[in-house]
This record gives sequence, C-alpha cells and structure tokens, in this order.
Amino acid sequence: MFLAKVIGSVWSSVKWPELGGMKLLLVRPYSLADLAGDAGDAPAAPTHDGVVCADVLGAGVGEDVVIAYGHAARVAVSELLPDGAKPSIPIDAAVVAIVDRWAVNRQ
Amino acid sequence: MIRGRVIGEVWATRKAPGLTGRRMLLVGVDGQDRAMVAIDTLDAREGEAVMVSVGSGARNVLAPGPDNRALLCDAAISLIVDGEG
Repeated sequence: MFLAKVIGSVWSSVKWPELGGMKLLLVRPYSLADLAGDAGDAPAAPTHDGVVCADVLGAGVGEDVVIAYGHAARVAVSELLPDGAKPSIPIDAAVVAIVDRWAVNRQ
Repeated sequence: MIRGRVIGEVWATRKAPGLTGRRMLLVGVDGQDRAMVAIDTLDAREGEAVMVSVGSGARNVLAPGPDNRALLCDAAISLIVDGEG
C-alpha cells in the first residue's frame, strides 16, 4: 500500500463491462522525500507520476488516501459491491482508506 | 521482502471494512525515494528497521494458510531487525 493525494479523476465510455459505474481517480504517491524531507513544517506536494485507481469509498480531490495494489485492491472493491459482483474486475489499484491524519517524525 | 525503516503512522476512519482494527505504519524504503504503508502486527516503533512482506506473503503475516485470500492486505511488517552482520 502507499500514501497518495487525489489530484483528479478519469472517465471513459468505452471500457470493460465489469467496470461500469466504477469511479476512477488519478492519485499522486508521496515519495519519501515528500514525507520526511526538510521542506519546512508542511509536507511537500507529492511529485511522483500519477496512478489511476478504483474508488468505492468516495474520496475527493485534495484528500490523502491509502492505495492498495493487486489482489488486495480487488478484495477492497468487492467488499463494498453487492453480492455476486466478485472481484473479476480488471483493476490493480484501489482506494482502501481516506486518511484523517498522518504523522512523520522529521529527524 | 523489502527492507525499510518506520517513519510514521496513518489514521483513517473511512476505510474498507477489511482494514478495521489494523494499524497502518509509514515505512521508508531503504535506498529508494519511496514510502509505503504497511500493516503492523508486531508493534513496531518509529525509527525501527523492519522487513515488509508484500503480496500473498503479506496475507500470511496476518493469517497463515491457504484460506486467507479474502484478507485485505498487500504489505505487512513481518519482522523487526535487531541487527545484521
């Protein structure tokens, strides 16, 4: 899993049928330097390349989120879908938590 | 497994049900400009060197065995490093 900031969304009309209704977000992972760097008190804005992930929790632009990869992403999505909609969906990254707070000890 | 150091913690109220009750730590990956979020069951502390298991190995940290595919976990702290030679 990794910590990232939501920077936008992605939408598409031509897609795999199982992805119908699935919200896709564009997030930017925090690097180690962003989190623990000595850029003053505030953390730096994340600078890594963006990642597209599925979202069933309702995260919004500007929020910090935790993203899971691979099988864990499909588990997270299927937990919140109706019964029968099992993780046959072609996703490999999903929002698993909307962060209230995170803390890093800057040394 | 990935070698890293615990640098902080993450708290979330709105999360997938499978993460309920899990402690999530921020781990800086050694030698890379990368931070990961790993589930902690060993009570690792900030500043400690740890190894993080990823993928299905991470699920085995939470519940060993072949019936753990429903667990939501792709990274978990599997050991706290005492020393190395």
